[in-house]
Amino acid sequence: MRPVLAIARNTIREALRERIALVAVVFGLAMVIASQVLAPLALGEGKKIVTDFGLAGSSLLATMLAVTLGTSLLHKELERRTIYSVMAKPVRRTEFLIGKFLGLWSTGAALLAVTTLMVLAVLTVAYRDPSWILAGSLALTLVEIGIVTAFVVFFSSFTTPGLAAFFTVTSLVAGHFAEDLLYFGTHGAAPALEIATTAAYWVLPHLTVFNARGLVVHGTPVPPERILFAVAYGLLYMGALLTAASAIFERREFR
Amino acid sequence: MIALRAKARAVAPFAAAAALWCAASAVDAARPERRMGRSEELLYFPSGLWVRQASLGYETAAADLGWLRCIQYYGEHRMTDNRFDRIGHVTEIVQELDPRFDQPTIFGAFVLGQEMGRPEAGLALLRRGLERNPESWQLAFEIGFLYYVCFDDHAAAARYFAMASRLPGHPDYVERFAAFAFQRAGEREMAILLWKRVLATGNKYMQEVARREIERLGGDPA
Repeated sequence: MRPVLAIARNTIREALRERIALVAVVFGLAMVIASQVLAPLALGEGKKIVTDFGLAGSSLLATMLAVTLGTSLLHKELERRTIYSVMAKPVRRTEFLIGKFLGLWSTGAALLAVTTLMVLAVLTVAYRDPSWILAGSLALTLVEIGIVTAFVVFFSSFTTPGLAAFFTVTSLVAGHFAEDLLYFGTHGAAPALEIATTAAYWVLPHLTVFNARGLVVHGTPVPPERILFAVAYGLLYMGALLTAASAIFERREFR
Repeated sequence: MIALRAKARAVAPFAAAAALWCAASAVDAARPERRMGRSEELLYFPSGLWVRQASLGYETAAADLGWLRCIQYYGEHRMTDNRFDRIGHVTEIVQELDPRFDQPTIFGAFVLGQEMGRPEAGLALLRRGLERNPESWQLAFEIGFLYYVCFDDHAAAARYFAMASRLPGHPDYVERFAAFAFQRAGEREMAILLWKRVLATGNKYMQEVARREIERLGGDPA
């Protein structure tokens, strides 16, 4: 466990060197400006719009950060050959991969938490309404960012940064259409297509499970059982992706 | 020669900027919206179902953008030709994207019913909204409102007010309206009361219309 934590710590340090704190500052400024500019234009729906854009923005930023940082960090280790010095120590490749994953997830989670707190602060100051129910949506998005990070690590374990980013984004987009795929496959399609779409349905991540923004913007708290289910599903999915990633990474030859 | 070249180099960026500006103006003039009438400007606004798929889980934020576009559309036409042919289309997209976002549906129905003289279209929009969000007391109340004010159908109005009074989150006045409507209390007074509620809760555009209607009925908006 100690090597995993050391690698995770190092990954966070490396990510911080990329000045991601600036992203949070820019987001905070954008939130404050949006709350002042959009509210009068929204004819009384300013709070809803600021909450919506704030939550969507923080989730998008954390996803983009996970994809861009994740694909480049693992590649840099191989490019600069720093991975050799790590592998020379009693560290297994699986531990290295899990350490990278935990470091990246923590960084994405920290950015997400900070930006969501900024949304909360703007709502409290501008609308005198500390919407604590945003915490439910935050919890689900944290797990979603974990799945995004697991995808990044999985694809980075065997391909180039550009392709890893492309495959990750494609998987996430396809994940949003998982239920539609099943619907089309099971409504009059050829039997082979039905099998293929059903298989795709089970393999693709069901990201709608983690989307509770539609609930919290209307003041409805996320039910605890939904959070529990999402966490269980997310952890299982991440576990499967990391197992596949480490199986590939163990066999990979470094040049 | 060298001086000439230096001058040309200095002028080149401005010439390029001017050429770009001319090209952009030409492209802008050729925009399909320019050729279309004002009533057709939102003809190609995508359907709610399409936007829902394309929004990749950010459908409530997409609904907000639709709402902002709806207000912009209404404001533009309010200041020019007072025609709001596409308001129903835009508000329905917002409804499809975020069924619990009631204000655009109420506003759309209000504009259709009061500004365009098409209360049946407003009623249809509200009914679709209530189908998508059956827990909304506001939509049930607004249907009652339209029945009372535009169709003079007090029985239907009372039915919807009563429905609104059974839905969660309704304020006390909803029950009072239901009782008033059932008792067929003085119709003019009831209409003024309904308009006063719009004056107290609606947005600035709705308030303007409410004030006008109260004055028309001989009431005091203050």
